[in-house]
Amino acid sequence: MLKGKTYIKASTAEQALSLARENNGRVRYFAGGTDVMVNRFQGNDLADLLIDISEIQALKEVFASDETLAIGSLISLDDLAGHSTVCDHFPVLAEAVKSVASPTIRKTATLGGNLLCGNRCSYFNQSEWWREASGYCLKSSGPVCLASGGSKHCFAKFVSDMAIVLISLNACVELLDFSGTSIKPLESIYTGDGMAPRGISPESIIKAIRIPLNHHISSVYKKLRKRATLDFTSLTTAVSVKKAGSIRIVLGGVHAKPVIVDGKAGDDLKALAAAAVSQSRIVDNDTYSRKYRKDMIIVFLERSFKELQLG
Amino acid sequence: MQQINISINGKQFHLLATEHETLAHLIREKAGLTGTKIGCEEGSCGACTVLVDGKAVLSCITPALRCDGSEVTTIEALAKDGKLHRLQELFVEKGAIQCGFCTPGMVLTALSLAPALIRETDSSALIRKVKEGLSGNLCRCTGYKKIIEAVAGYVKEISATTVSKSSPFKPAHAIKGGVGIPRPYLEAEKKVRGAAEYADDIVLKNSLHCKFLRSIHSHARIEHIDVSEAMIMQGVHYIATGREIPGKFGVLPISQDETAIAVEKVRYAGEIVAAVAADTEEIAAEACRLIRVKYKPIREFLTIEDSLNDAGENERIHETGKFNNNIHKKAELRFGDQQQGIKEAEFTSKMSFEFEGLSHGFTEPHAATAYWDENGLTIITATQVPHYLHRALAKVMEVPLSRVRVIKPYLGGGFGGKSDPFPHEIIVSHLSRKTGRPVRVRLSREEVFLTNHGRHPSKMTVEMGISGEGTIKVLDADVAIDGGAYGSFGVVTSYYNGVLLQAPYKLDNFGFRTYRVYTNKPQCGAMRGHGAVNSRFAVESLIDDLAIKIAMDPCELRMKNFLDSNTLTVGQYRITSNGSRESLQKVMDLSGWKDRRGKLEKGRGLGVACGFFISGSALPIIWNELPQSVVHLKLDFDGRVLVTSGSSDIGQGSDTMLAIIVSEVLGIGMDKIFVLAADTLLTPVDFGSYSSRVTFMAGNAAKDAALILKKEITEALVIKHNINPGELNFSDDRIYSNDTTTNLSWMEAVEILTAKRGAVSVSGKYISPKLGGDFKGAGAGLSPSYSFGACIAEVEVDMETGYVKVTDVWGAHDCGKALNPLAVEGQLEGSWHMGTGQAISEQMKYYKGLLLNNNFLEYKIPTSVDTPDIHASIIETIDPEGPFGAKEAGEGAIHPVIPAIANAIFNATGVRITSLPVSAEDILAKMKENHLAE
Repeated sequence: MLKGKTYIKASTAEQALSLARENNGRVRYFAGGTDVMVNRFQGNDLADLLIDISEIQALKEVFASDETLAIGSLISLDDLAGHSTVCDHFPVLAEAVKSVASPTIRKTATLGGNLLCGNRCSYFNQSEWWREASGYCLKSSGPVCLASGGSKHCFAKFVSDMAIVLISLNACVELLDFSGTSIKPLESIYTGDGMAPRGISPESIIKAIRIPLNHHISSVYKKLRKRATLDFTSLTTAVSVKKAGSIRIVLGGVHAKPVIVDGKAGDDLKALAAAAVSQSRIVDNDTYSRKYRKDMIIVFLERSFKELQLG
Repeated sequence: MQQINISINGKQFHLLATEHETLAHLIREKAGLTGTKIGCEEGSCGACTVLVDGKAVLSCITPALRCDGSEVTTIEALAKDGKLHRLQELFVEKGAIQCGFCTPGMVLTALSLAPALIRETDSSALIRKVKEGLSGNLCRCTGYKKIIEAVAGYVKEISATTVSKSSPFKPAHAIKGGVGIPRPYLEAEKKVRGAAEYADDIVLKNSLHCKFLRSIHSHARIEHIDVSEAMIMQGVHYIATGREIPGKFGVLPISQDETAIAVEKVRYAGEIVAAVAADTEEIAAEACRLIRVKYKPIREFLTIEDSLNDAGENERIHETGKFNNNIHKKAELRFGDQQQGIKEAEFTSKMSFEFEGLSHGFTEPHAATAYWDENGLTIITATQVPHYLHRALAKVMEVPLSRVRVIKPYLGGGFGGKSDPFPHEIIVSHLSRKTGRPVRVRLSREEVFLTNHGRHPSKMTVEMGISGEGTIKVLDADVAIDGGAYGSFGVVTSYYNGVLLQAPYKLDNFGFRTYRVYTNKPQCGAMRGHGAVNSRFAVESLIDDLAIKIAMDPCELRMKNFLDSNTLTVGQYRITSNGSRESLQKVMDLSGWKDRRGKLEKGRGLGVACGFFISGSALPIIWNELPQSVVHLKLDFDGRVLVTSGSSDIGQGSDTMLAIIVSEVLGIGMDKIFVLAADTLLTPVDFGSYSSRVTFMAGNAAKDAALILKKEITEALVIKHNINPGELNFSDDRIYSNDTTTNLSWMEAVEILTAKRGAVSVSGKYISPKLGGDFKGAGAGLSPSYSFGACIAEVEVDMETGYVKVTDVWGAHDCGKALNPLAVEGQLEGSWHMGTGQAISEQMKYYKGLLLNNNFLEYKIPTSVDTPDIHASIIETIDPEGPFGAKEAGEGAIHPVIPAIANAIFNATGVRITSLPVSAEDILAKMKENHLAE
């Protein structure tokens, strides 16, 4: 067991995992760190043991087989956007990447880090002083949610834009944890509880993201934010249509997890959009109001349907 | 602690780094390279950008230990063999550097961006990609335009297959000519090298670090403070509480209502309750956590309405004022006969407006170091007004004025936000006195927001009436502003909201009433365009509405009503030069107003507005008979003229302006001029950088001094050469008679002057003429000259989401005479950038007295991709009293841009904007209402 503040670089995923095992899972993995470092500065992340996994070369590669595109989780967002194999198969991924953070942050931030980026709320992403002065929100171990004015459930918003588009593409994650390697749908790692938004153990490492190929998918991606750069999402939508006819709508920024609505060609599009709205759980924890974000779901989806020439 | 081996700028460092230390901290504090700046500590501003193994990273969110074995490049490495990198040269040449605080990060980001853009041959695509590439680096001064030009220019140069012969780089001092020649700031090269030292870059030996414990309550009595546990912590040297420095201060003599540390009660969440001086920042911060404070919360007042009302049984925020409410200041003035005006008006428009508070958003956080020695107190601090701080420190520290020295180093932007004396400046002075060691402090970005002094949240109802022909008959304004917990400049702000409506249009019947209230929030103060930005917005919106009512082009309506030159306003402001008409005509021509307005595609719109502003307040804040500004010149045997001035260059280029004026008068190159400014020991009193006064007042003092020196030289030459003084010319480093029988180099003339006399020192000054009427309140807004201007904005509104994109701003500003056109353009572009922010994205959002968006991620300053294309025009009217005809250019330009954007939104959507920032949601809702009404 390591004591006190420690920083270790791991050179393989297995080494990172064994460090986690030796320390009973009390570790904070750390890839680009663009999210973690800010949380630490604000006192929202107090983990003593930082394991820097950003130099694990094996997790930065991209492989395409006949059926699957596997993207290493530690590829930087910038490299991902410029990767010809990825862009050839899924131009929407490059489009989504370019909407994340700022160009400089994207040089450091990783795909895996984005998928595991902390859920955000105006009442939580604050300094320790601020949270104390506000009386601590639910996510900061306070009695109730301040954003909703008293709820016992935390809806800190889900802000990974990459997850939204990847889920629309039916992506899976390859996870390494104490029990070995497993592959599961990306959406399955998100709980919907803003307090503990990810249902994976702390030692888990996402090794790769696997996207099925040959579905001839067309996708449309949209993001709502005040400025055309830098800002976290107020609403992200991705709509993907397979040639075979299935439609997948995924929303970010409007719930503690991605909102997913599956449909198929010929479905009533208005009903699909309405289903997406009704599944969202928006609270006033953002620069845009709850009502506006809700209204924009419909606008964004209708535009997406139009661009995809559905209906 | 771990040892790391890190190469920084090619030099190997073996440094001990703590486990969770940031690279920015290591570079600045351990490698001692302070060119890397810290602006936000959260990866949101880009000031800390460095290259690690060639890749741009944000060093404030990069762990130092990650960089073990890496090669780090900071700004200091770019210049080689004493020569700037070409990209740095272009930053200098294009005027891309104002305060210079964002510059190191911006340059390194651009450098890492450039290679990928080489293939881009299409010019507009290149500009777009440069904007995108720089979009993580905030600049608050330039509006990005000149930065983008520099970077795009660099990419074009490195892309060129044939080497085109660009003229060799000339440092600012080598550019010939004086007034009217565009030139970079004299210190631009130093800034672009990362060598200019800002307050936090100056580290004195044995300095202690200061951190603050801040109140968690908005309004509470302090019952008990227990520092015992904190005091015994190793490394803690002193803990100060409010009773030790109870002296009250405030920038205005009439609002001395603040103490450095709260005494007995706190009036806003974030107010300083205790201050620790310790060996390190970490120890000081940890000690703050160990201080126990017992508060008794009392009822808080958070809104204008709350504070206007009777406080009932509740304790007021300040126990001053005759009535049982929290009104700080009430001001009212009436001119002409408003009732008659209303009767005469055939069309009237009355609307209510609401404005959120704003932050200056300067990129450099407040920082200071104080120490005491045989000369008393010295403080090196990021301040716009050394003189008022000098007075405040003498008062609170209880020492004579002669024992206080205030030094302003390079300053990373101010915009009004560094113009009050601040608690942290007083506290480090006190801690240094108690510990006998220098004490330094740098505020976090959150603390900068808590310190505030930004634009007041405001509510107002304004009514205007016009005749059928479009002559303005009446204007009435009813204004309430939310001052926060203390006075600051608020009394002036109150007046300015009213009095600064009496131009640029001719008014006969005009009146206003304003209230400023105290609330339990961080205090508001002066911010660019002080006091009149919001009420100007209201008036320009009403004019737009009235133009529609009488079916007249809003430009024509404005043209009809402009005041003339050389006239008096209804409140007896003396208007001299006035370029309103030229400004408006210019933006109409450049924007294609006549041809394009009303013919744009759906969702696009054009809007117009005008404005004016003071060119320095004619009255001093602290009543005394000192001149507004004094400038000393010293000419010695080496031929160099030393200019000493108390004025503060805060990034707006005032040091360069002083040199230009002296150069023009004496006909000598800038290489013979050295400016030493803003050190209250060495430089004569100037009232500081606020109210857009520096060019006019310090400029006039410099001109006066230079003319006196010229006379001294002339007299010496007349005696020696027996010529008529009227025949001597000073030009091109020579002094010669009309017939050139006397023809001396500058050095020859200097030898004659200094023979048997030595160095010659002269003193010039500026005293404002007596101005204004004889009534209470007549002094507010009096200025020896006023600037005028106009803006036309074009917007694109998404009709389904309500999202507004400001695509273009055409602006024209009458600055009298552009002493340095490059600097004037920079001020204008920066103003229009900042105004765009207020219009579309910036606001301070509170939750129960706590600022929700206290960082650069959530306080939304427009980035390079959010800032419109700015088309700046300088209008010159040659003011009769300004130095060489110059007047202000730093603040007035922000006034017209905000209503121009709102009026453009109306033109695009039919929705009248009555609250700022513009809300997409409101636009949608109002479009729906309008649609239903049809």
